[in-house]
Amino acid sequence: MSKIISIHSFRGGTGKSNTTANIAALLAKDGARVCVVDTDINSPGIHVLFNLDDSEMVHSLNDYLWQKCTIEEAAHDVTSRVGGDIKGQILLIPSSIKPGEIARILRDGYDVGLLNDGFRDVVDKLKLDYLLIDTHPGLNDETLLSIAISNILVVILRPDSQDYQGTAVTVDVAKKLDVPNMIMLVNKTPSAFDFDDVRERVEQTYDVKVGAVLPHADEMMTLASSGIFAIQFPDHPITKGLQKLVEFIKK
Amino acid sequence: MSSALFDTVFKELEARNDDIRPSDILLFSEPLRTALNTVIHLSRFNLTEFAANLPFTREEARELASLLVKRNLFELFVADQQEPVYMARLSAMTRPATRPPSDLWKKID
Repeated sequence: MSKIISIHSFRGGTGKSNTTANIAALLAKDGARVCVVDTDINSPGIHVLFNLDDSEMVHSLNDYLWQKCTIEEAAHDVTSRVGGDIKGQILLIPSSIKPGEIARILRDGYDVGLLNDGFRDVVDKLKLDYLLIDTHPGLNDETLLSIAISNILVVILRPDSQDYQGTAVTVDVAKKLDVPNMIMLVNKTPSAFDFDDVRERVEQTYDVKVGAVLPHADEMMTLASSGIFAIQFPDHPITKGLQKLVEFIKK
Repeated sequence: MSSALFDTVFKELEARNDDIRPSDILLFSEPLRTALNTVIHLSRFNLTEFAANLPFTREEARELASLLVKRNLFELFVADQQEPVYMARLSAMTRPATRPPSDLWKKID
Protein backbone atom coordinates (compact mmCIF):
# COMPACT_ATOMS: atom_id res chain seq x y z
CA MET A 1 0.00 0.00 0.00
CA SER A 2 1.32 3.47 -0.94
CA LYS A 3 2.30 5.89 1.80
CA ILE A 4 2.14 9.68 1.78
CA ILE A 5 4.77 11.25 4.01
CA SER A 6 5.01 14.96 4.82
CA ILE A 7 8.25 16.42 6.06
CA HIS A 8 7.53 19.59 7.98
CA SER A 9 8.90 22.07 10.46
CA PHE A 10 7.46 25.16 12.05
CA ARG A 11 10.58 27.19 11.39
CA GLY A 12 12.75 27.52 8.30
CA GLY A 13 16.29 26.25 8.01
CA THR A 14 15.75 23.04 9.95
CA GLY A 15 16.79 20.80 7.05
CA LYS A 16 13.46 19.71 5.58
CA SER A 17 14.56 19.58 1.95
CA ASN A 18 17.81 17.82 2.75
CA THR A 19 15.98 15.32 4.94
CA THR A 20 13.32 14.74 2.27
CA ALA A 21 15.90 14.17 -0.45
CA ASN A 22 17.92 11.81 1.73
CA ILE A 23 14.87 9.80 2.81
CA ALA A 24 13.85 9.50 -0.85
CA ALA A 25 17.31 8.23 -1.81
CA LEU A 26 17.46 5.70 1.04
CA LEU A 27 13.99 4.34 0.22
CA ALA A 28 14.82 4.11 -3.50
CA LYS A 29 18.17 2.47 -2.70
CA ASP A 30 16.18 -0.42 -1.22
CA GLY A 31 14.08 -0.72 -4.38
CA ALA A 32 11.13 1.58 -3.71
CA ARG A 33 9.41 3.78 -6.29
CA VAL A 34 9.44 7.23 -4.70
CA CYS A 35 8.16 10.62 -5.79
CA VAL A 36 9.09 13.89 -4.11
CA VAL A 37 6.87 16.96 -4.49
CA ASP A 38 8.27 20.39 -3.70
CA THR A 39 5.27 22.26 -2.32
CA ASP A 40 7.44 25.13 -1.08
CA ILE A 41 6.18 27.29 -3.91
CA ASN A 42 7.39 30.49 -2.22
CA SER A 43 10.99 29.29 -1.99
CA PRO A 44 11.61 26.11 -3.98
CA GLY A 45 14.96 24.42 -3.64
CA ILE A 46 14.95 20.63 -3.41
CA HIS A 47 15.60 20.33 -7.14
CA VAL A 48 19.16 21.55 -6.43
CA LEU A 49 19.83 18.50 -4.26
CA PHE A 50 18.78 16.27 -7.15
CA ASN A 51 20.97 18.22 -9.62
CA LEU A 52 17.93 19.19 -11.70
CA ASP A 53 18.60 22.52 -13.31
CA ASP A 54 15.83 25.04 -13.94
CA SER A 55 16.50 24.81 -17.68
CA GLU A 56 15.79 21.08 -17.56
CA MET A 57 12.37 21.43 -15.93
CA VAL A 58 9.89 20.51 -18.65
CA HIS A 59 6.96 21.20 -16.36
CA SER A 60 6.67 22.23 -12.71
CA LEU A 61 4.06 21.98 -9.97
CA ASN A 62 3.10 25.53 -10.95
CA ASP A 63 2.18 24.32 -14.45
CA TYR A 64 -0.02 21.62 -12.96
CA LEU A 65 -1.78 24.12 -10.67
CA TRP A 66 -2.40 26.34 -13.69
CA GLN A 67 -3.76 23.22 -15.43
CA LYS A 68 -1.20 23.40 -18.20
CA CYS A 69 -0.19 19.76 -17.65
CA THR A 70 -1.16 16.64 -15.73
CA ILE A 71 0.57 15.95 -12.44
CA GLU A 72 2.48 13.01 -13.88
CA GLU A 73 3.78 15.20 -16.73
CA ALA A 74 5.42 17.40 -14.09
CA ALA A 75 7.37 14.43 -12.66
CA HIS A 76 11.06 14.23 -13.63
CA ASP A 77 13.05 11.02 -13.24
CA VAL A 78 16.10 12.05 -11.20
CA THR A 79 17.31 8.54 -10.27
CA SER A 80 20.48 8.70 -12.33
CA ARG A 81 21.40 12.13 -10.95
CA VAL A 82 21.69 10.93 -7.37
CA GLY A 83 24.61 8.51 -7.74
CA GLY A 84 24.99 5.36 -5.71
CA ASP A 85 23.39 2.00 -6.36
CA ILE A 86 19.69 2.82 -6.57
CA LYS A 87 17.54 -0.28 -7.14
CA GLY A 88 14.27 1.67 -7.24
CA GLN A 89 13.30 5.00 -8.78
CA ILE A 90 13.16 8.63 -7.68
CA LEU A 91 10.81 11.08 -9.35
CA LEU A 92 10.69 14.78 -8.56
CA ILE A 93 7.85 17.25 -9.11
CA PRO A 94 9.66 20.57 -8.70
CA SER A 95 8.23 24.01 -8.07
CA SER A 96 9.25 26.72 -10.50
CA ILE A 97 12.25 28.86 -9.63
CA LYS A 98 11.36 31.53 -12.21
CA PRO A 99 10.62 34.82 -10.36
CA GLY A 100 7.67 35.68 -12.61
CA GLU A 101 6.04 32.30 -12.02
CA ILE A 102 6.54 32.49 -8.26
CA ALA A 103 5.09 36.00 -8.27
CA ARG A 104 2.12 34.92 -10.36
CA ILE A 105 1.16 32.10 -8.08
CA LEU A 106 1.54 34.29 -4.99
CA ARG A 107 -0.47 37.07 -6.57
CA ASP A 108 -3.30 34.97 -7.97
CA GLY A 109 -3.42 32.10 -5.50
CA TYR A 110 -4.51 28.64 -6.60
CA ASP A 111 -7.07 25.99 -5.77
CA VAL A 112 -5.82 23.83 -2.91
CA GLY A 113 -8.20 21.18 -4.19
CA LEU A 114 -5.98 20.74 -7.24
CA LEU A 115 -3.03 20.05 -4.97
CA ASN A 116 -5.20 17.53 -3.11
CA ASP A 117 -6.18 15.85 -6.40
CA GLY A 118 -2.59 15.93 -7.61
CA PHE A 119 -1.25 14.07 -4.59
CA ARG A 120 -3.83 11.32 -5.01
CA ASP A 121 -3.47 11.10 -8.79
CA VAL A 122 0.31 10.92 -8.78
CA VAL A 123 0.29 8.01 -6.31
CA ASP A 124 -2.16 6.07 -8.51
CA LYS A 125 -0.88 6.99 -11.95
CA LEU A 126 2.83 6.56 -11.19
CA LYS A 127 2.22 3.48 -9.01
CA LEU A 128 4.28 4.89 -6.20
CA ASP A 129 5.37 3.16 -3.05
CA TYR A 130 5.99 6.51 -1.36
CA LEU A 131 5.05 10.12 -1.99
CA LEU A 132 7.23 12.53 -0.03
CA ILE A 133 5.93 16.07 0.38
CA ASP A 134 8.56 18.71 1.06
CA THR A 135 6.60 21.50 2.72
CA HIS A 136 6.96 25.21 3.31
CA PRO A 137 7.81 25.97 6.95
CA GLY A 138 5.05 27.06 9.28
CA LEU A 139 1.33 26.65 9.04
CA ASN A 140 -0.72 27.65 6.00
CA ASP A 141 -3.43 25.95 3.96
CA GLU A 142 -0.91 24.06 1.82
CA THR A 143 1.01 22.65 4.78
CA LEU A 144 -2.23 21.84 6.58
CA LEU A 145 -3.45 20.01 3.50
CA SER A 146 -0.24 17.97 3.34
CA ILE A 147 -0.48 17.11 7.02
CA ALA A 148 -4.18 16.26 6.76
CA ILE A 149 -3.74 13.68 4.00
CA SER A 150 -0.44 12.16 5.11
CA ASN A 151 -0.02 8.67 6.54
CA ILE A 152 3.19 9.76 8.26
CA LEU A 153 4.33 13.20 9.40
CA VAL A 154 8.01 13.81 10.05
CA VAL A 155 8.44 16.91 12.21
CA ILE A 156 11.91 18.40 12.18
CA LEU A 157 13.31 20.77 14.74
CA ARG A 158 16.67 22.01 15.93
CA PRO A 159 17.53 22.02 19.63
CA ASP A 160 16.73 25.73 19.79
CA SER A 161 14.22 27.65 21.91
CA GLN A 162 12.38 29.16 18.94
CA ASP A 163 12.06 25.73 17.36
CA TYR A 164 10.88 24.14 20.61
CA GLN A 165 8.07 26.67 21.01
CA GLY A 166 6.97 26.62 17.39
CA THR A 167 7.09 22.84 17.19
CA ALA A 168 4.55 22.64 20.01
CA VAL A 169 2.09 24.39 17.68
CA THR A 170 2.83 21.97 14.84
CA VAL A 171 2.45 18.91 17.04
CA ASP A 172 -0.81 20.23 18.47
CA VAL A 173 -2.19 20.84 14.99
CA ALA A 174 -1.08 17.43 13.76
CA LYS A 175 -2.83 15.76 16.69
CA LYS A 176 -6.00 17.74 15.93
CA LEU A 177 -5.78 16.49 12.34
CA ASP A 178 -5.46 12.89 13.61
CA VAL A 179 -2.29 12.16 11.64
CA PRO A 180 -1.97 8.35 11.85
CA ASN A 181 1.79 8.36 12.51
CA MET A 182 4.04 11.15 13.65
CA ILE A 183 7.77 11.03 14.32
CA MET A 184 10.26 13.73 15.19
CA LEU A 185 13.74 14.41 13.94
CA VAL A 186 16.07 16.64 15.93
CA ASN A 187 18.56 18.07 13.47
CA LYS A 188 21.79 20.08 13.62
CA THR A 189 22.53 19.11 17.21
CA PRO A 190 25.81 20.54 18.53
CA SER A 191 28.34 17.92 19.65
CA ALA A 192 28.43 19.54 23.10
CA PHE A 193 24.85 18.39 23.77
CA ASP A 194 23.96 15.07 25.33
CA PHE A 195 22.04 13.39 22.50
CA ASP A 196 20.19 10.96 24.80
CA ASP A 197 19.12 13.88 26.96
CA VAL A 198 17.88 15.80 23.90
CA ARG A 199 15.88 12.78 22.75
CA GLU A 200 14.33 12.27 26.18
CA ARG A 201 13.49 15.94 26.56
CA VAL A 202 11.80 16.16 23.17
CA GLU A 203 9.84 12.92 23.64
CA GLN A 204 8.60 14.04 27.04
CA THR A 205 7.73 17.54 25.87
CA TYR A 206 5.70 16.52 22.83
CA ASP A 207 4.74 12.94 23.69
CA VAL A 208 5.93 11.91 20.22
CA LYS A 209 8.68 9.41 19.40
CA VAL A 210 12.00 10.80 18.21
CA GLY A 211 13.28 8.88 15.20
CA ALA A 212 16.79 10.26 15.42
CA VAL A 213 18.92 13.04 16.87
CA LEU A 214 21.28 14.11 14.10
CA PRO A 215 24.54 15.93 14.72
CA HIS A 216 25.51 19.23 13.23
CA ALA A 217 28.24 18.26 10.78
CA ASP A 218 30.83 20.15 8.78
CA GLU A 219 30.53 17.51 6.04
CA MET A 220 26.89 18.49 5.52
CA MET A 221 27.75 22.18 5.42
CA THR A 222 30.62 21.56 3.02
CA LEU A 223 28.44 19.45 0.73
CA ALA A 224 26.20 22.55 0.65
CA SER A 225 23.20 20.84 -1.00
CA SER A 226 25.27 19.83 -4.02
CA GLY A 227 24.20 16.22 -3.63
CA ILE A 228 22.55 13.60 -1.44
CA PHE A 229 24.46 13.23 1.84
CA ALA A 230 23.42 9.63 2.52
CA ILE A 231 24.79 8.53 -0.87
CA GLN A 232 28.06 10.42 -0.49
CA PHE A 233 28.61 9.56 3.20
CA PRO A 234 26.97 6.14 3.70
CA ASP A 235 28.69 5.44 7.03
CA HIS A 236 28.25 8.87 8.62
CA PRO A 237 26.24 9.13 11.88
CA ILE A 238 23.77 11.41 10.06
CA THR A 239 23.14 8.67 7.49
CA LYS A 240 22.77 6.07 10.24
CA GLY A 241 20.18 8.28 11.93
CA LEU A 242 18.29 8.81 8.68
CA GLN A 243 18.28 5.05 8.10
CA LYS A 244 16.52 4.60 11.44
CA LEU A 245 13.90 7.08 10.28
CA VAL A 246 13.50 5.17 7.03
CA GLU A 247 13.00 1.91 8.97
CA PHE A 248 10.12 3.58 10.83
CA ILE A 249 8.63 4.79 7.55
CA LYS A 250 8.84 1.33 6.00
CA LYS A 251 6.98 -0.41 8.85
CA MET B 1 -36.48 14.32 16.01
CA SER B 2 -32.82 15.21 15.64
CA SER B 3 -30.50 15.45 18.61
CA ALA B 4 -29.27 18.74 20.01
CA LEU B 5 -25.69 17.76 19.09
CA PHE B 6 -26.67 17.11 15.49
CA ASP B 7 -28.45 20.47 15.33
CA THR B 8 -25.35 22.22 16.67
CA VAL B 9 -23.04 20.51 14.18
CA PHE B 10 -25.42 21.11 11.28
CA LYS B 11 -25.80 24.79 12.13
CA GLU B 12 -22.01 25.16 12.46
CA LEU B 13 -21.62 23.91 8.90
CA GLU B 14 -24.66 25.70 7.52
CA ALA B 15 -23.35 29.03 8.84
CA ARG B 16 -20.39 28.80 6.48
CA ASN B 17 -20.74 30.42 3.06
CA ASP B 18 -17.30 29.52 1.72
CA ASP B 19 -15.75 26.26 0.56
CA ILE B 20 -14.03 24.38 3.37
CA ARG B 21 -10.28 24.89 3.32
CA PRO B 22 -7.68 22.87 5.24
CA SER B 23 -7.35 25.46 8.02
CA ASP B 24 -11.10 25.32 8.67
CA ILE B 25 -10.89 21.68 9.76
CA LEU B 26 -8.95 22.79 12.84
CA LEU B 27 -11.72 25.15 13.86
CA PHE B 28 -14.57 22.65 13.75
CA SER B 29 -15.75 21.26 17.06
CA GLU B 30 -16.07 17.59 17.84
CA PRO B 31 -17.42 15.18 16.76
CA LEU B 32 -17.32 16.78 13.31
CA ARG B 33 -13.57 17.38 13.24
CA THR B 34 -12.62 13.77 13.96
CA ALA B 35 -15.20 12.49 11.50
CA LEU B 36 -13.85 14.75 8.78
CA ASN B 37 -10.23 13.83 9.56
CA THR B 38 -11.14 10.16 9.21
CA VAL B 39 -12.87 10.45 5.86
CA ILE B 40 -10.21 12.79 4.47
CA HIS B 41 -7.71 10.02 5.15
CA LEU B 42 -10.03 7.45 3.57
CA SER B 43 -10.49 9.74 0.58
CA ARG B 44 -13.25 7.56 -0.86
CA PHE B 45 -15.93 6.23 1.52
CA ASN B 46 -19.58 5.33 1.68
CA LEU B 47 -22.35 6.67 3.87
CA THR B 48 -22.00 3.75 6.27
CA GLU B 49 -18.32 4.56 6.84
CA PHE B 50 -19.10 8.25 7.38
CA ALA B 51 -21.97 7.51 9.76
CA ALA B 52 -19.79 5.07 11.74
CA ASN B 53 -17.61 8.00 12.81
CA LEU B 54 -20.47 10.13 14.06
CA PRO B 55 -22.86 9.77 17.02
CA PHE B 56 -25.80 10.42 14.69
CA THR B 57 -28.40 8.37 12.86
CA ARG B 58 -27.73 7.29 9.30
CA GLU B 59 -30.18 9.86 7.97
CA GLU B 60 -28.55 12.62 10.00
CA ALA B 61 -25.17 11.57 8.57
CA ARG B 62 -26.69 11.70 5.09
CA GLU B 63 -27.94 15.24 5.72
CA LEU B 64 -24.49 16.29 6.89
CA ALA B 65 -22.89 14.67 3.86
CA SER B 66 -25.28 16.55 1.54
CA LEU B 67 -24.35 19.80 3.19
CA LEU B 68 -20.65 18.97 2.86
CA VAL B 69 -21.20 18.30 -0.84
CA LYS B 70 -22.66 21.84 -1.11
CA ARG B 71 -19.60 23.18 0.72
CA ASN B 72 -17.35 21.39 -1.76
CA LEU B 73 -15.57 19.24 0.82
CA PHE B 74 -17.33 16.09 -0.40
CA GLU B 75 -18.05 15.04 -3.96
CA LEU B 76 -20.80 12.54 -4.62
CA PHE B 77 -18.87 9.79 -6.37
CA VAL B 78 -21.62 7.17 -6.66
CA ALA B 79 -25.18 8.47 -6.40
CA ASP B 80 -26.69 5.29 -5.00
CA GLN B 81 -29.75 5.98 -2.88
CA GLN B 82 -29.04 3.04 -0.55
CA GLU B 83 -25.30 3.47 -0.18
CA PRO B 84 -23.93 6.65 -1.75
CA VAL B 85 -20.16 6.93 -2.10
CA TYR B 86 -18.33 10.18 -1.57
CA MET B 87 -14.84 11.54 -2.07
CA ALA B 88 -13.37 14.01 0.40
CA ARG B 89 -11.38 16.79 -1.19
CA LEU B 90 -10.02 19.77 0.69
CA SER B 91 -10.56 22.69 -1.62
CA ALA B 92 -10.81 26.49 -1.78
CA MET B 93 -8.45 29.05 -3.24
CA THR B 94 -5.38 30.03 -1.31
CA ARG B 95 -5.50 33.58 -0.09
CA PRO B 96 -3.70 35.63 -2.73
CA ALA B 97 -1.01 38.01 -1.56
CA THR B 98 -2.16 41.58 -1.09
CA ARG B 99 -0.97 43.99 -3.69
CA PRO B 100 2.21 45.68 -2.51
CA PRO B 101 2.58 49.39 -3.08
CA SER B 102 4.59 50.63 -6.05
CA ASP B 103 3.09 47.99 -8.35
CA LEU B 104 5.89 45.58 -7.55
CA TRP B 105 4.31 42.59 -9.23
CA LYS B 106 4.71 44.12 -12.69
CA LYS B 107 8.44 44.55 -12.13
CA ILE B 108 8.77 40.86 -11.25
CA ASP B 109 6.60 39.51 -14.10
